[in-house]
Amino acid sequence: MRFRVALVPLLVLPLPLTAQIRASEMGVMSQTIDGTKLTVEYSRPRARGRDPLFGTKAVQWDEVWTPGANYATTLEVDKNIKLNGKPVPKGKYSVWMVVKKTGDWTMVLDPRVRLYHMEHPESTAAQIRFPAKVEKIAFTDVLTWSMPELRMSGGKLVMDWERARVAMDVEVEPSLVMTLPASEASPYLGQYTFIDHDSTGKAGKVSAFTITHEDGTLKGRWTPDDPYMKKFALVRIAPDWFAPGVYDEKGQIYEVLKPDVVLEFNRAQGQVSGFVMRLGDDNLWGTATRKR
Amino acid sequence: MSFDFTRRRFLVELPAAIALLLADRGVARARSAPAHPTPRAGITGARVLTRQQLAATPKFIPLFDSVREIPQVIDGIHCNCGCTDPPRFYSLLSCYEDTGMARECYICQGQARLAVRLHKEGKSLDQIRSAIDAKFG
Repeated sequence: MRFRVALVPLLVLPLPLTAQIRASEMGVMSQTIDGTKLTVEYSRPRARGRDPLFGTKAVQWDEVWTPGANYATTLEVDKNIKLNGKPVPKGKYSVWMVVKKTGDWTMVLDPRVRLYHMEHPESTAAQIRFPAKVEKIAFTDVLTWSMPELRMSGGKLVMDWERARVAMDVEVEPSLVMTLPASEASPYLGQYTFIDHDSTGKAGKVSAFTITHEDGTLKGRWTPDDPYMKKFALVRIAPDWFAPGVYDEKGQIYEVLKPDVVLEFNRAQGQVSGFVMRLGDDNLWGTATRKR
Repeated sequence: MSFDFTRRRFLVELPAAIALLLADRGVARARSAPAHPTPRAGITGARVLTRQQLAATPKFIPLFDSVREIPQVIDGIHCNCGCTDPPRFYSLLSCYEDTGMARECYICQGQARLAVRLHKEGKSLDQIRSAIDAKFG
């Protein structure tokens, strides 16, 4: 009886959560690009002295292999994307690669998510398949997914293991259109007189502001150049409202300052007469009047 | 034109400040705003912080006063900073009540100032919502 009483606490007390040391610990790589989120969840195998790995018992040539361990690696995207130009609808997929001794590997995205790594999936119509180039890199011990390159509307999704790098080009659906047809840009083109306002709304320095249409994009700049903005894109966010798109050294827009800065154009008798520039808190930055 | 240093610093440091604010709340800011709430019948601005309650932050008194005057408009706007995600808050109006968290959030401030300004220009609630979606969505 005393023994039974002593056992009761053992039966009713919650057991502590167990930690477990795994050969292939779980990892997550997540990246948001212009509001589209990509998430790779995977178990991360280590080489553990095995070199080479590809073309051996560990990963055989022509095997449909999941770049991970245990349950298949998954890729989840919350909006439609393109991988190496191949449309990938919003959803979650198990990720597989057909490993080739020479030439491109084949990426396989299978809508059946919960597959064990031994369940090499047969080719089905529901799968998304596309070729992916393999590059030789320095030895990587732990299988790693990453996005080492990012740009405004995409980047590179990369899997590194052993001496192989599989890099895929990612394209997301842009939230804004950076270009503006010439016919729609023409009402805004010309010279403006810009008056800076301080945080109390008091008018201050006066400068020149020019709007041009170049390479299909409406562009603005102060004279002399603002050191940060330089010549920037005017990205339309609503009728007569534009947000500045700032260019990097390669001429690629890397940031659209929305809602931090918005130019709201005014019209008089249908003609653009000037604009007000407002900050994210809607306070006035400056006002501009179009020169005749 | 050269940037005012304070304003430049403000713009440069803004994203980090927003990130900290959002991280603190444990919410993520959505790119496209969810649907705007329907203004509650009989809603008033009675719970919007008063001049006395804003004594420590007097620069926000005019903004809170403006919000108090048009609760039927502000209550029909979703706040894009994430603070109005249900069930915690109902609308942008909630950001100006109780703790008055709008004092610490430039998104809440910007949306309300824009709403107040457009309301004064005679814009409808739908037009105000469209403008807020364009700038903050």
